[in-house]
Amino acid sequence: MSITPLTEDQRDALQEVLNIAMGQAGDSLARILDAFVELSVPRIRIVEVKEVTNTIREMVGNTADVTAVRQAFFDDLRGEAIVVMDENGCRDLADLMGYDDNLDCQAEQELLLDVSNVLVGAILNGVTETLGTSLSYSAPSIMAERCPVDHIIDPRNLSWTHALLLEVNYSLKNRGFKSHLLLLMAEEAIESLRKAVDDFVESI
Amino acid sequence: MTTPITIVDDSAMSRKLMTRALPAGWDVEISQATNGKEALEAYHAGKADVMFLDLTMPVMDGYEVLETLKKEGLNTFVVVVSADIQPKAQERVMSLGAMAFIKKPVNTEEVTKILKEYGII
Repeated sequence: MSITPLTEDQRDALQEVLNIAMGQAGDSLARILDAFVELSVPRIRIVEVKEVTNTIREMVGNTADVTAVRQAFFDDLRGEAIVVMDENGCRDLADLMGYDDNLDCQAEQELLLDVSNVLVGAILNGVTETLGTSLSYSAPSIMAERCPVDHIIDPRNLSWTHALLLEVNYSLKNRGFKSHLLLLMAEEAIESLRKAVDDFVESI
Repeated sequence: MTTPITIVDDSAMSRKLMTRALPAGWDVEISQATNGKEALEAYHAGKADVMFLDLTMPVMDGYEVLETLKKEGLNTFVVVVSADIQPKAQERVMSLGAMAFIKKPVNTEEVTKILKEYGII
């Protein structure tokens, strides 16, 4: 199955929608961490499923082992939100939140789940508010722990042909903290999103 | 009198939204810039008595535009229009000489309120 690429207008509009959502999520993160969060321009790619792993590696960068949290979203748009953090990021997070060095595994997981939940909630709310769509999302769960980026997703387990990857990242000045948030959507959801974006552009 | 204004944003949609949010009946001549460098060119060409400035842009971002304008002796009314809504981002742009900060997505009420507050309309 082939998929029509996004038009320049669709990409521009989607980028701006993400930009607004990213700003809201970044503000939530800044409030939790009590630090200034640096934002970057969101990235958008449609790739064949076999390329998903490579694209994620490219987006996240060649980092040390990572931990990833996933949350599924559904209703008007269906997909997966994935928050990826490397070990430095996890440590920084614990440090900023006032935990001592001996954070046990369970407490670290809980912390990651909480932060991911805030980021994903804020970004999905931002997208739905702007596009006028409605979304629900699942509770966060750890999908990979301290493993290479390549191991987050195994494309062989996906029944899709194409995926839309939306990426935003958050970092802190003077610290190693970096967190990537990916929204991953399959063919059907790409078309729903395309329609929502078209309707939005038309309404302007 | 027609006021020359420049809308600076890398997103075409965002420039369109900003244009739409301008108060009805405000006599303006609108120029557009897609990055900070173009914004400064428009400013030097006398096309920006009022500038609506995005922050995150390629080539030259909004912070750099404000820094340059400040160095040159700011002679334009800059309203920052940004998705980065952290209080610290707002503090930083205000300290660089921006007169106001509007959160994206923009709306006419907010733009009108700011322009009225400073006697521009």
